[in-house]
Amino acid sequence: MDFSDILASSIHDIKNSLGMILNNLDDLITSPENHIKDPRQTRLLQDEARRVNSNLIQLLALYKLGHAELVVHVAEYNLEDFLDEVIADNQAVCNALDIQLDQSCAPDLSGYFDSELVRSVLDNAIGNARRYAKSRILLSADHENDGLVIRVEDDGTGFPARFIGRLDPTHPLQQGEGAGRTKLGHYFSAQIASLHKTSDHQGYIQLKNGHQLSGGCLELWLP
Amino acid sequence: MSREERAASIILRGVENTRMPAGLLSKTYLVIDDFPDMRAAIRSIIRSIGATQVDQARDGKEAIDLMQKTRYDIILCDYNLGPGKDGQQILEEARYRQLIGVDTIFVMITAENTRDMVMGAVEHIPDSYLSKPFTKELLQKRLEKLYARKADLQTVNKALMAKNYNAAIAELDRLISTNPKNLSELLKLKAETCITTSRYDDAKEIYDQVLDAREIPWARLGLGKVQFYKTDYPQARETFEQLIAQDPNLILAYDWLAKTQSALKEFTVAEKTLQTAVKLSPRGLKRQQLLGDLALGNGDSEQAEIAYEHAVTLAKNSVLNHPALFAGLAKSKSANNKHTEALKVIADIGKKFQGSDEAAFYVASTTALVKHSQGDTEGAQEAMHAAEAAMKDLGARAQDHLFALEMATTYSELDETDKAAALLHQTIANNHDEHECLAQIVQICSKAGIEYDAEKAIREIRQHVVKTNNAGVRLIKQGDFDAAITLLREAAEEMPANKTINLNVAKAIIMKMEQAGATSEDILAVRHYVERVQGLAPGDWRVADILLRLRQLAPKASGE
Repeated sequence: MDFSDILASSIHDIKNSLGMILNNLDDLITSPENHIKDPRQTRLLQDEARRVNSNLIQLLALYKLGHAELVVHVAEYNLEDFLDEVIADNQAVCNALDIQLDQSCAPDLSGYFDSELVRSVLDNAIGNARRYAKSRILLSADHENDGLVIRVEDDGTGFPARFIGRLDPTHPLQQGEGAGRTKLGHYFSAQIASLHKTSDHQGYIQLKNGHQLSGGCLELWLP
Repeated sequence: MSREERAASIILRGVENTRMPAGLLSKTYLVIDDFPDMRAAIRSIIRSIGATQVDQARDGKEAIDLMQKTRYDIILCDYNLGPGKDGQQILEEARYRQLIGVDTIFVMITAENTRDMVMGAVEHIPDSYLSKPFTKELLQKRLEKLYARKADLQTVNKALMAKNYNAAIAELDRLISTNPKNLSELLKLKAETCITTSRYDDAKEIYDQVLDAREIPWARLGLGKVQFYKTDYPQARETFEQLIAQDPNLILAYDWLAKTQSALKEFTVAEKTLQTAVKLSPRGLKRQQLLGDLALGNGDSEQAEIAYEHAVTLAKNSVLNHPALFAGLAKSKSANNKHTEALKVIADIGKKFQGSDEAAFYVASTTALVKHSQGDTEGAQEAMHAAEAAMKDLGARAQDHLFALEMATTYSELDETDKAAALLHQTIANNHDEHECLAQIVQICSKAGIEYDAEKAIREIRQHVVKTNNAGVRLIKQGDFDAAITLLREAAEEMPANKTINLNVAKAIIMKMEQAGATSEDILAVRHYVERVQGLAPGDWRVADILLRLRQLAPKASGE
């Protein structure tokens, strides 16, 4: 057993513990018998635990990718339903931060992807956007240029110029000098995007500024 | 906003978030997880949504026991439950024993390390997968969507459960015409229903239409199935090979490719295909069994032993456990010169399936083979006679081609070639349009080298049956129902276990009654032929169609 295998198996354990922490936190917050002085603190606690969790998911996915064990389960999903779930998952913490989180998407739009992997990409993008957004994060999905694009944008100051453009899945860690977890997140997202491919198209991540909102916009393009 | 105001708004929004469709609150829930903490956590999430009827089970046994008492609406089941059944086996057993129906929402909860195993499942796919850990909000949203989807399909599902396929298709057409957001789910369901009822051209039309817009695996796979059922095997093979080239992880495509290769009598290639498939997804019981069967037939007894070992282990907690798996394991062990181990496996059959006639038959037939390989001619003869007696005890079930082929194999190994040939001949007559069974017969004959030209016999018998059928249809068209019925009845007595012929007699009598009115004698006759077919294949859709027509003719007399 090499170190990465040990790491991978510990991650499962840590994830289970985190699951329990998250569930108990939820009980703590929602139980009417508890009088928590500052509910915002518990929300942020919950949010940090979920950040750890999503980081672990990314690590595990990247580990599997390195061992050629990552299997992509592509299925068809209705985008409105899917984005509804992503929003439900992230709503509480955005509320706590006073950030409005919503989506716009045609009700009959559907796409083909691995829901768990794409969910991680979007959770990660929302986690980023939350740190830069002034008051709003917008999720949207559309059918454009023969492909599906899912966007996560905010009304903050936008990405620094050196980030703009298509992320290269082979060397994204060299791009930019952002915080460590942003870089890992971008690397992960670019990898996941590129795993979605058809015979003549491949998914990718593109960063830009000022799409519908004024701030940064992460685009996940899927074939 | 002050801190207090913000807190209040959070709580308010929280309340708003937990507003669920009223229907979901009154449902009965079952939570299955081996960790008490996890069970309690999931239960408290469901309770916080507002539902009150939440039961819990810690393992498969407890879950199945509870399902026998209560018909649950929503089941949340962890895949990994420690020793005993896993979540997939619970789902399998619950559906197999009809403890849950298509209207039940079954959510499989997975962890990262079990996700691939679960998603490789072929049959019995849950309504949804949920990765641990999940938030309350996600579960809530998921249940809302699943509930809405089931509500949408309520009429369709009711019709499907009643096997009223025409009504199901009519309702699906109505839903499809409203251009809903789950359009492709509806199209897929409609195409599958068309395949179930042998309306292959209708199914093909749907798949072609979907594929025109985009290359979509389920539609391409469906197209391959249509090609297979229409016996266009070379085309089907190409389709499944193309699917695998596009996505080497698409397990279903391997299963269908192997089926197609077997139908083309390419048994060695079919074995290779399944070898690749079990490497990708080793937990499929039927796949392992099929691989064992193929390998044993190909004389690849080492591969056969491995596959049957897997199958027997997987079947341990499964409702699909069957003496044939042990018989296969014993035969392959014996072929590998492990006769003592083989006899031990056979002894296990008797223990595992006490009092089962089928098990008694497999014990005897397999013992005969093992003793024969050991050179114990007397013991082998004795066991063979026991197998013949056990076959008699099976009554009408002995006509099932599984038993007939098992017995024929035993005969041919023990050099009783005349008996083997006679039994195979009868089996061909009973299954003239079941291509997989016919392919197996060819394989048995070529392996045993018996003096029986199976391919020629199949051709002749098929011609004979088709000729009789056509003559019957012609007489019906001419309005001479009595002559048609007499002709088809004669054929049915000649081939009492031929489903198609029995159903054709029943249909001819029904058409006569639709023209000339129902008589109790005719109704009894229809029921006689229908029961024959039901005894052989309880799920045959053609039976449901005939019973429906019978009900329309004579609502009371049909006794349904």
